[in-house]
Amino acid sequence: MNSCTNKMLIFVMLVLVAAGCSAPAKTTGTTANDNQIFPYPYAINDLPNGLRVVTVSTGYPDVVALYVVVNTGSRNEVEAGRSGFAHLFEHMMFRGTAKYPSEKWEAIMQAAGAETNAYTSDDRTVYHAVFSKEDLPQILELEGDRFQNLKYTEEQFRTETRAVLGEYNKNFADPFRKLEEMVRETAFKTHTYSHTTMGFEKDVENMPSMYEYGLMFFDRYYRPEYTTVTIVGDVKPEETLPLIEKYWGGWKRGIHKADVPAEPAQDGPKVVDLNFHTPTLPIVDIAFHAPAYDDAINDSAVLDVISFHSFSENSAIYKKLVVEEQKVETLFPQYYDHQDPYLFEATAMVKDAKDIEYVRAQLLETFEKLKTTPIPAQELDDVKSHLRYQFAIGMNSTPAIAGTLAHYIGLRRTPETINKRYELYRNVTADDVTRVAQKYFVEKERTIATLKYEPAKAKARPQ
Amino acid sequence: MKRILTAGILLAISFALLFAAQPESLPLPNNSPLVTLRLLFKAGSVNDPPGKQGVAALTAAMLSRGGSRDKSYDQIVKALFPLAASVSAQVDKEMTVFEGTTHRESLDAYYGILRSMLLDPGWREDDFRRLKDETMNFLRIQLRSNNEEELGKEFLYLQIYRNHPYGHHSAGTLASLNALTLEDLKAFYKANYLRGNVVIGLAGGYPESFPKKVEADLNQFPDATSQPVALPEPKPAEKLRIRIIQKETRSTAISLGFPIGVTRSHPDWAALKLMQSYFGEHRSSKSYLYQRIRETRGMNYGDYAYIEYFPRGMFQFKPDPNLGRRQQIFQIWIRPVEPDNGLFALRIALYELNKLVEKGMSQADFESTRTFLSKQVNLLAQTQSEQLGYELDSRYYGIPTFKNHLKDAIAKLTLEDVNAAIRRHLRSTNLDVVMIAKDAAGLRKAIESGAPSTVRYVTPPPNDVLEEDKSIKGYKLDVGSVEVVPVDTIFEK
Repeated sequence: MNSCTNKMLIFVMLVLVAAGCSAPAKTTGTTANDNQIFPYPYAINDLPNGLRVVTVSTGYPDVVALYVVVNTGSRNEVEAGRSGFAHLFEHMMFRGTAKYPSEKWEAIMQAAGAETNAYTSDDRTVYHAVFSKEDLPQILELEGDRFQNLKYTEEQFRTETRAVLGEYNKNFADPFRKLEEMVRETAFKTHTYSHTTMGFEKDVENMPSMYEYGLMFFDRYYRPEYTTVTIVGDVKPEETLPLIEKYWGGWKRGIHKADVPAEPAQDGPKVVDLNFHTPTLPIVDIAFHAPAYDDAINDSAVLDVISFHSFSENSAIYKKLVVEEQKVETLFPQYYDHQDPYLFEATAMVKDAKDIEYVRAQLLETFEKLKTTPIPAQELDDVKSHLRYQFAIGMNSTPAIAGTLAHYIGLRRTPETINKRYELYRNVTADDVTRVAQKYFVEKERTIATLKYEPAKAKARPQ
Repeated sequence: MKRILTAGILLAISFALLFAAQPESLPLPNNSPLVTLRLLFKAGSVNDPPGKQGVAALTAAMLSRGGSRDKSYDQIVKALFPLAASVSAQVDKEMTVFEGTTHRESLDAYYGILRSMLLDPGWREDDFRRLKDETMNFLRIQLRSNNEEELGKEFLYLQIYRNHPYGHHSAGTLASLNALTLEDLKAFYKANYLRGNVVIGLAGGYPESFPKKVEADLNQFPDATSQPVALPEPKPAEKLRIRIIQKETRSTAISLGFPIGVTRSHPDWAALKLMQSYFGEHRSSKSYLYQRIRETRGMNYGDYAYIEYFPRGMFQFKPDPNLGRRQQIFQIWIRPVEPDNGLFALRIALYELNKLVEKGMSQADFESTRTFLSKQVNLLAQTQSEQLGYELDSRYYGIPTFKNHLKDAIAKLTLEDVNAAIRRHLRSTNLDVVMIAKDAAGLRKAIESGAPSTVRYVTPPPNDVLEEDKSIKGYKLDVGSVEVVPVDTIFEK
């Protein structure tokens, strides 16, 4: 028996002991492939309890990034009055357990020199830590413990709700935040995308009374089948898997499935205007309902191509409105990957209120033109090249790779979706662009929002 | 005689050659498929001539986001777009840096564009108009109206550095920007884009011949160095100098601080860095202030402390490199609190600062912070752009590689060293306070009355905290002056 076989035997035994001799983790994975956009070898291990483990070796030395991705976000806030709760709950996850109260958790992370934080979006909540590789076993234990055994008092809960209110307040002067609130609330009537991740103001104010709901939220969604432990950096799957089995293997699978109501087709164009409470340049936003993220059907990938081609800094409309006419301060597209159908938006900050109508008409004309005029082959190639290089340039450190990966893990729980998606980009044709523009940029599915500051009205309006 | 004269001239020429200003180089080659350039000029907004505040920043904007002589801005955008590359500029008091990363496959194309942007600017009137508008809107709208936290921090710097070369925002003032002309920018370029000011930072998988090529190009800048700008010590505030910005807002933001004579070059820097990490590590729940104000009392979203300039902290977890300065301040940042708790929050900050100055850190806190820093420093510069940035800063401050410098220095520190440095450099009076509030007049009255503060909790904190609150509510504010500042006067001139 050579030493290699020996090691393998020990590895298999460890797995069996740790998993209590239940079914071992199922492993799939790849080696690095030069032809694919995601160049790092990875392994996927599914534990019997539904937890998924994705391990990626980046080749950057010493550092490990641990991203725990929970497929729960503000999308899951289906009950009335609970908007913003997934984000509040992300805060509660830092309140400790019986074994590791928050001070102890903090002390261990501090001794490791770890950078820790978390964020919540529409579709996911991500807990991340970056640290030296020798601290991986301890940090996996610590994180496994809090995901299974979180414990906090009602007083702690109520106190934390005010930190969240502080977070809401600090963004209050940002007009783009307000714009997002008004566009979502207007465009969505039944789906939970009608509110931002931060939540409606009244719900944030009311959070101190939601302690009981918090317990239920944890019980429903903080479950292995919703969770992917993503370990990126100077790591090997055969070293990390036994640790995961040991510290996360006993986590019980849940039974709850979020019943997120589908958004019916919009019944006609919508318009919304808002007077902002503090000086800002006017903002014009045109939004169309648009498809969810997909790595098999290419509509959403084509819309990404359109966003770069027709509304980025490189677009004809940008050149006209920002560079030449200088009527617009900034102009950008917004089309973010989502679990369910979301919005495709073009947003412009206008320098002078008298140009609002003109800018709006120019943006609408840009959408219309896409339906009838095929985009030139060279311009399409430039977008594809941009997407490819942008991805490669972004992969510049272990934390950056982990951060990008967490986004896709939140959508499909596998790095492979990145390769599929970029393959879709590679094959987009000018005809696809015309077809997709005709399909989604329709008046009936449109919302036009305008935000401006009119001092006389602003003073009259209570804040 | 003639021979002596000739010899003298030859000697003078060789001296001139010997001492000719050369661009410095900082190469960090590796096997990455990416190449990063950081071209640093040792000139910034301190070099803005009187009445021309903002000219350094607008000049850098013209180079990085305007056309070159052979390509319009639009043509540059078009050429860089397929490479997914860009040129960014950052201007601070003492330095200007141009940064860009490209894939090594497209290095030639990218560098060709960057080179002509820096060495052969287009100086087009329409680029100038666009960028000037953008800068004025940044000050008037983004900073003054739409980001109260950054406004408070920047206004604190304006207060501390009154009548001082650091005394204006690097972007300028609205009055000076309005008056700036393209000729002012050209004059600034001529006076400061000099061979002796340049440090060439290169990192990544570039070809062996590349550094020489960049050096040869940047050698085309005139053979000179910017005139050094004298920096007086800023005059300390008398007692508490409190300025309340009146603004339509839901909450009350607070920043306070004072100048410290310590930069990375100073022997006490590591001691203060350790203190800062303990007392207010940026965006970290381990920050002592965060624990006392947010975690225990639920008063806001976070509370931190700084010993170096850290703009845009609400958007990022790590500071950008290449913001090196000859003078720094100590600063506390209290994120917005409920208006009813505004004065109480100010009192906690001053109470805790006073406690830190009087009692120093404990042995346990010293040890745990030292352990944290010695490991966390390994994570600071992950990308090659950050590594390059830190190296350039280390060269500016005349210290070894940052990571080694900090590790070595903190390994030698004792608790007594840190507490002595705290006593030497920190204080809880003679400092500037900036608050942003809707009811500024009411807040001013409350401060001037000297009456104890009230505090409103959604749920009572633990008893020991309530007990401590009693001392904080009546904590004496040693007020020198309180003034209300209408928000629309800020950055005007």
